[in-house]
Amino acid sequence: MIEPARSIGAMAARAGTLAVAAFLILGPLLSLGVWSLAERWTYPSPWPQRFGGRYWARMLAGDFLQPLYTGLIVAVIVTGLALLFAVPLGYALARLRFAGRTLILLAFLLPQAFPQLPVFASATREFYRFGLAGTVTGVVLVHLVGGLVFAVWTMTAVFRAIAPELEEAAHNLGASVTRAFLTVSLPLAVPGLVASALLVFLYSLDEFTGTLLVGAPFVTTLPVYMYTASVGYELQIASVTAIVLMVPGALLLLLLERVLKAEYLVFFGQV
Amino acid sequence: MLAGVFLWPLGASVIASFSREGQWTLANYGTVARLYARDVAYTVGVAAAGTALTFVIAIPVCGWLRLRAFGPVEFLLKVPLFVPFVVVGHALRVFWSPYVPSFASSWAGIATALAWKHLGLAALLLLGAFRSTDDAYLEAARQLGAGTGRLTRDILVPMAAPALAVTGILIFSSMLASFSIPLMLGRGGGPQMLMIDVYYRFGQHGDFATASALGVVAYLLAMGAALVYVRRLTR
Repeated sequence: MIEPARSIGAMAARAGTLAVAAFLILGPLLSLGVWSLAERWTYPSPWPQRFGGRYWARMLAGDFLQPLYTGLIVAVIVTGLALLFAVPLGYALARLRFAGRTLILLAFLLPQAFPQLPVFASATREFYRFGLAGTVTGVVLVHLVGGLVFAVWTMTAVFRAIAPELEEAAHNLGASVTRAFLTVSLPLAVPGLVASALLVFLYSLDEFTGTLLVGAPFVTTLPVYMYTASVGYELQIASVTAIVLMVPGALLLLLLERVLKAEYLVFFGQV
Repeated sequence: MLAGVFLWPLGASVIASFSREGQWTLANYGTVARLYARDVAYTVGVAAAGTALTFVIAIPVCGWLRLRAFGPVEFLLKVPLFVPFVVVGHALRVFWSPYVPSFASSWAGIATALAWKHLGLAALLLLGAFRSTDDAYLEAARQLGAGTGRLTRDILVPMAAPALAVTGILIFSSMLASFSIPLMLGRGGGPQMLMIDVYYRFGQHGDFATASALGVVAYLLAMGAALVYVRRLTR
């Protein structure tokens, strides 16, 4: 039961709610834009004293290209590896009943349920012993924890949504288990697989805590770069980086609002 | 893979929290009680305030959206889901800094920033629950003259109570464990969020044992979320 707005009062309520929501949600994001263009803004001036594109020019001249590049490489590797594991595992979890199934699902929930920072601190210590701390490999490994959680849960949901009867039909026509999977289930899973890949990619690109701990001091991705700038009171540099960091998420929100199912997003909002 | 990078370190941190220089001891927890009791209370308080604020905004807005669908507001509510945690912390810091410079690192600033980020998740879960409420109840109450506020308070909220409880637990645990948002908001004087303490204890003091004991306290506080997940899984 949804009531259309009929009266002037109802229209005003709509307009008012929209205005308040827009200010509260978009205000902080727009202030990033103002800060990124503020060449001079000192308290208590309500508005920047001087505007300009100096910080953008400085960034685009190469200041942040290295962290951007590192982050993209890591995200591509993490996405590839996560799906490589998650496709067969998700298929098995969706289709087969085997001993330890619940235990595996549980293991893939733990990183979601427990505070990550103390675990990553502990992982960093272990990584030091194996020479993995401060390396791209170490950062990939720590991103894979969260990435696998997304990938395994989305792929399990995707395969669960594909009717097993389709595979049974293929079996009846003489196809092997592998062949039925490759020619029937996998093609049907492609849209879900793409959504899963995008979520993992975005997660890896945005991951901060693990990268800060494990990657320090040699591996810098954009979130870490932004933190360093912000600690050094370079608020403009941090704001430019923040805007760049929001682009992939914004694209995903605009392009995939319809494709992404709510259950995927629930996992996404929590990391 | 997961075992090596998550379960093993998790176990290692629990063991480390009970030992110091090779001896089994509770001394690390003594240190936590001595130095960080106030921060634990502060963290629980901030997370509770943040969760309350999230609900105070999300419940009426989602009730309103359930009864009078309005796409643009629903879209805006989902925006925070797609903004990375670090960006949220920084955005709210620079949003406030020209006008109320010390607000960002205060308890209210941290709670507000956390609520901002969790609005997306709350909206997603609450709208889902509200939309699964049968129209017949709402229709009957409306015939009797109930308005949007009454319908939300007397029908949608009670009927979605289990979903509200789950949402509250998940958001509260996530806020307890928040690290990047308080870090980006900057360190004020006074008490700190627990994860910030873990980070500095580990990173600057190199005191892994006490950091782990703090971590175990956080695991215990966040146990509610773990139980929610386990229940969901075994059902």
